[in-house]
Amino acid sequence: MTPFEIALLALVVGAAVTTAALRSVLSSVVAFGAYSLGIAIVWVFLRAPDVGLTEAAVGAGVMTVLFLLTIVKTDHPATERTFERIDLRAAGVAVALVLVLSSTLFALPAVGDANSAVSDDDVSEYYLDNAYDETEVKNAVTAVLAAYRGFDTMGEAAVVYSAGVGLLVVLDREVFG
Amino acid sequence: MSQQEPGTPDTAAPTDRSGPYVGSPIIMATVRVVMPFVFTFGLFVMFHGADSSGGGFQGGVIVGTVVLMLGIAFGIEATREWIGSRLPVALIGVGMLAFLFTGIGSVLLGAGFLEYSVYHDLGIPHATKYGIEFVELGIGVIVAGIVTGLFFAIAAGLDGGESA
Repeated sequence: MTPFEIALLALVVGAAVTTAALRSVLSSVVAFGAYSLGIAIVWVFLRAPDVGLTEAAVGAGVMTVLFLLTIVKTDHPATERTFERIDLRAAGVAVALVLVLSSTLFALPAVGDANSAVSDDDVSEYYLDNAYDETEVKNAVTAVLAAYRGFDTMGEAAVVYSAGVGLLVVLDREVFG
Repeated sequence: MSQQEPGTPDTAAPTDRSGPYVGSPIIMATVRVVMPFVFTFGLFVMFHGADSSGGGFQGGVIVGTVVLMLGIAFGIEATREWIGSRLPVALIGVGMLAFLFTGIGSVLLGAGFLEYSVYHDLGIPHATKYGIEFVELGIGVIVAGIVTGLFFAIAAGLDGGESA
């Protein structure tokens, strides 16, 4: 691992722990924004710029604003302590769970491994070989999303549409009566 | 783009901390400078998603972020009155219909659902490419509408005290 990757990992893990440990909700939201930004950079490092862009725009940008708007409506009592008091037993269970889940990490292929199951799979080979000829689109991710799996994407758009309209109806009724 | 209407809206705002909006000349100036670039970048991500990373979803969120920035700088109520609370909902519907009709249209032309290449018969060059771009635009419009609509809906009631 390069020093940059180590620093990035430290930023992400540090921001995540800070988010959980801070007592003030406002500070937690800010730390969570930093965490999302770090995760977005991790996605770029993992050669997934599309996902990174989404994480940066939604996770770090819009979600932070919506969280802030929500906690403005709540009481935030003045706190004397900066950090939450840590329950050692709960922290032990959480760390144990992380350790158990981490044991599967060694089964994953290395980043960019040419022999991994993903990259020599027939389906992804087909997309990479034929996407440009068949769809005239240079970004293979977009080609899969909008052309090969266009019906799935329409389903996703319908889900976003119905979730959004439902939320707007409920919230508007809640607010404006 | 920069309508001068929400210029000095904070005269009527209550001065105690019942409302979250505090007019700050630094934030207003920053948003005025940054906003056109963010808007252009959002449109670029949306239109250029077929050839580089990005796409309708990401571009739509970035375009929606412009409205969030305006709301934070110039007051959410002023921004809502300027944009209108019906426009985001209308955008959501228009985007979904655009996606649906792209699919149904190709069936009407005698091909499969969402088979963009048949639009070539209507004289559209590179029909598949432009079909994909059009669908991405529809997704972007849906997402931008939902981001702004959710922002207004969650923020509503902040300025008006305990109306919720």
